[in-house]
Order: sequence, then structure tokens, then C-alpha cells
Amino acid sequence: MVHQYRSNGYNIVLDVNSGAVHLVDDVVYDLIPLMEEDLKAPVSELMRLTGGRYSEDELIEAAGEIRELKEKGQLYAPDVFAPYLDRFIERKVQDRVVKALCLHIAHDCNLRCRYCFAGKGEYHGNRSLMSFEVGKAALDFLIAHSGNRTNLEVDFFGGEPTMNFDVVRRLTEYGRSREKEAGKKFRFTLTTNGLLLDEEILDFANREMGNLVLSIDGRKEVHDRMRPTAGGTGSYDRILPKLLRAAESRNQENYYVRGTYTHFNTDFAGDVLHLNDLGFEQISVEPVVCDPSEPYALTEEDLPKLMSQYDELAQEIIRRRKEGKFINFFHFMIDLSGGPCVAKRLSGCGAGMEYMAVTPEGDLYPCHQFVGEKEFLLGNVWDGVTNPSLAEEFGALNVYQKSSCRDCFAKFYCSGGCAANAWHAQGDVNGAYEIGCTLQRKRIECAIMIKAALSEQE
Amino acid sequence: MKHIKTLETRDYRESMKEGGCGECQTSCQSACKTSCTVGNQSCEHKEKK
Repeated sequence: MVHQYRSNGYNIVLDVNSGAVHLVDDVVYDLIPLMEEDLKAPVSELMRLTGGRYSEDELIEAAGEIRELKEKGQLYAPDVFAPYLDRFIERKVQDRVVKALCLHIAHDCNLRCRYCFAGKGEYHGNRSLMSFEVGKAALDFLIAHSGNRTNLEVDFFGGEPTMNFDVVRRLTEYGRSREKEAGKKFRFTLTTNGLLLDEEILDFANREMGNLVLSIDGRKEVHDRMRPTAGGTGSYDRILPKLLRAAESRNQENYYVRGTYTHFNTDFAGDVLHLNDLGFEQISVEPVVCDPSEPYALTEEDLPKLMSQYDELAQEIIRRRKEGKFINFFHFMIDLSGGPCVAKRLSGCGAGMEYMAVTPEGDLYPCHQFVGEKEFLLGNVWDGVTNPSLAEEFGALNVYQKSSCRDCFAKFYCSGGCAANAWHAQGDVNGAYEIGCTLQRKRIECAIMIKAALSEQE
Repeated sequence: MKHIKTLETRDYRESMKEGGCGECQTSCQSACKTSCTVGNQSCEHKEKK
């Protein structure tokens, strides 16, 4: 399976099943689909099929290079991974290793973001805070079920976790106190809207949090429209100095400013660049996920604009990087040479099996997106998983199960997409969220083009 | 090669030999929380070696 496209003056060829990425000239670009049918096609036939655009010598040379790639396994590679993945998933479901938890420290929030999937912080339930005892039981559960994994991830999430920060602090200390005897290493993340981010919290976060996720949507008018305070006023002016201070105090590393774009700001590239102009270097701005009936939901009609925004953003990022101004856009990050193994690439995000969300009451859900949806209740931190068939259903998720993924070039980069998105869109965790898939494919194309452009500079 | 420049990538077939250790980051924990992207993640197995 080959995916080829032209972007920003580059002819890019992805050999989907080997992972190889080739930058090619026009003659190879035109020959690759022709020679997939017949690798030994005579030059006269290639000349006829390409309408006489290339000389005989060019065609002979280009065809020779294509055959060489094929021999090296870097072109027209077959998909040989299904039996391997079956064995991998069978083992995964049998081992039931848990390695990451999203702790809902507070089902309460001091903002009233209009698109909040947590229902303004409450997640379809009452406002509540996680107690230390529940959090401790969650960390004990994680350690006990983490098998031989060393690295354990815990995200302090909400609502707004800084509204219950003493528990965050105590849980971090408890986790650290157990690392040595348990042979584990915790990686903590704090996700916050920044409103309560004072020096004390920041100092603690800089010592203990491997990653800090700071919510801001971009331009003031965009941010304030969707992220008002409980009193109804905009929050941009109140959070911005705190977020800038946080980014600087972390030396512009190991954090993200994280925004959401919606139908109201389909020109979101302006928001990404605004954040960079403010001084942020690590930026993630992502499409909203919500019920399609919401006025801010992205629509099919938004897609052409959104696609061109990704193109424009990619070109501007290249320009800035070449000028020595750093910007890292999360959705354009791609690790071609050191990225994950094929098992990881094909077997989904891990929700419901190796990753779970914990409510303030100690209930376990497949991930934060499912919290409060009773049919997805997995168990609790004291009894563990009490609904094993649900865990197995999630653990078995992989791209070969999803009909819409099989022929998609992006399957090795998105691992079948987000189960919650699929469920929201089609009522099935094995379904697909088409708008999300279209945007994902575009982002991957842009990310690889950026690699190509920056590789020329090296 | 004159017509083709190949970027350095990880060979998926090769990765079957030592892959699947599970030490890598859970994709949704990184920043996104609403999308699944694994292509941008690093392999911890390689880092350990």
C-alpha cells in the first residue's frame, strides 16, 4: 500500500506497510502507481502511460530505482502484521497490565467552558473532590496491576485539579515514597486552566510534574468566548501572565499550552501563531469533540477551511523554524526514526486496559471521555476491574478490527483513532469519526512534509 | 539515488522483533486528551538500551 501526495512543492511517497518515506521527483512520482501493477513493465509501455513526458533514459533510471526500493522492502511492502498483532493482543488481554491513570482530582471547576466534555466540571454527576484515601487506593491499584512495567503515568486532571491541590501534593509524595520498594517510576502530569496557578503550585509542579498541560485557546476573543469564568467574564487576561510564567520557569520544555478550536474559529492557525507570538514554544491546539448538534461543533462544511489552515500553519512553522524561532505544534510532531514499534502503532490508545480514569469516588472508567457514562463503568480502585468483558473489549481494539482503517494510510500513525470519538460519532468504539479522521490524515501529511522541508536544511 | 531521497525511518517489520514491551507513554496522556496520535511518540525500549 502506497500513499503519495504533493505538498508545498514536495512529492512525498509513504510506503505504508514498511513505514518508509521517500521524496521523489516527478518521473518517479508518476511511475510508482504504474509499476505497482507491473514492476517489470517495459520502458515503451511506461513511456506510453506517462504520455511521453519523460525521456527513455529518465524512465529506465527511475524504474531501476523503484525496483531497488522494492527489493529493499521499502516500497510496495505487504501488510504482514495481522497474525503478529493477534498474538500481541491475546497476550495483552491475558496480562491485564495497567500503566497509566487519569485521576479526576476535582469534579468541579472555576471556569465554565462552553465545550467542556466534563459538563462544566461535574461529569454528569455532582460536584466533588477526590479524597487522599481514594487517590492512594488508585496509586496502590496501579502499582499492583502494573506487572513488570517500570514507567507509570499519572495525570492529575479534572475539572480543575488545583481546586484540590493539597491532595495532588500528598498523592505525589505518596507515589514517590513507593517508587523504590515497588521498582517503579512515576511520571506525573498536571492539567490546569491556570487560574489558581501561583508560585507555590508552580514550584511544586516544576519539581514533580514531568509534563504540565496549560489550557488556553489562542486569541483573546476566541478564548474568552468559550472559556468564561463562573461569573461569566473572560478568563484570558487572568490566566495569560501565569501561563507565560509557567512556560518560562520550565525553560520552554516539558509543558504544552493546549487549546481547543471549534466551528467559531475555523481560522485556528491564527490562534496557534498568536500563542507562539506571545512566547509559548510548545503548543497543542486541537479540534473540539462534542455532540454534532452543538452550535460550536465542527461540520463537514468546515473541512476545506480547516485543511487549508493546517497547510498554512505548516508553511509558517517551517518559515519560523528556518529563521531560528522555535515552535513545536503537537499535532505536527512525528518521530520517523525513533517512533513506536508496530505493536503500539496498531493496537490503539490503551484506554480501558492499560489506561483508565478514576473518579473522585474511586470508580474506574476506560478513559476520561467515558467518565459518568454508566454503561462504561469498569470497576473501582478497591475491587479492581469488575467488568472484565468491557476491559477485554477495549483491550482488543486495533486497526484491523475497524473496517474504515484497513485501507487508510494513516493507520500506523493514529492507531485507529480515539474510541470515545468513535463512540460519540457512531455509537460504537470500533466505529470512526470521519471529520476527525480527515483532519488526522491532513496533519500527518503536513507533519511529514515539514520533516522533508527541515531535512533539506540539515 | 538520483530520483529518490529516502528519509530515515523505523522499519516496522524489524520492530516486531523487539517491540511490544509497553514501556512507552500512553498516547492520550501526552497532551491531547481528545485524539489518538502515536506517530509522534518515542520508543522507550530504544532509550533503555
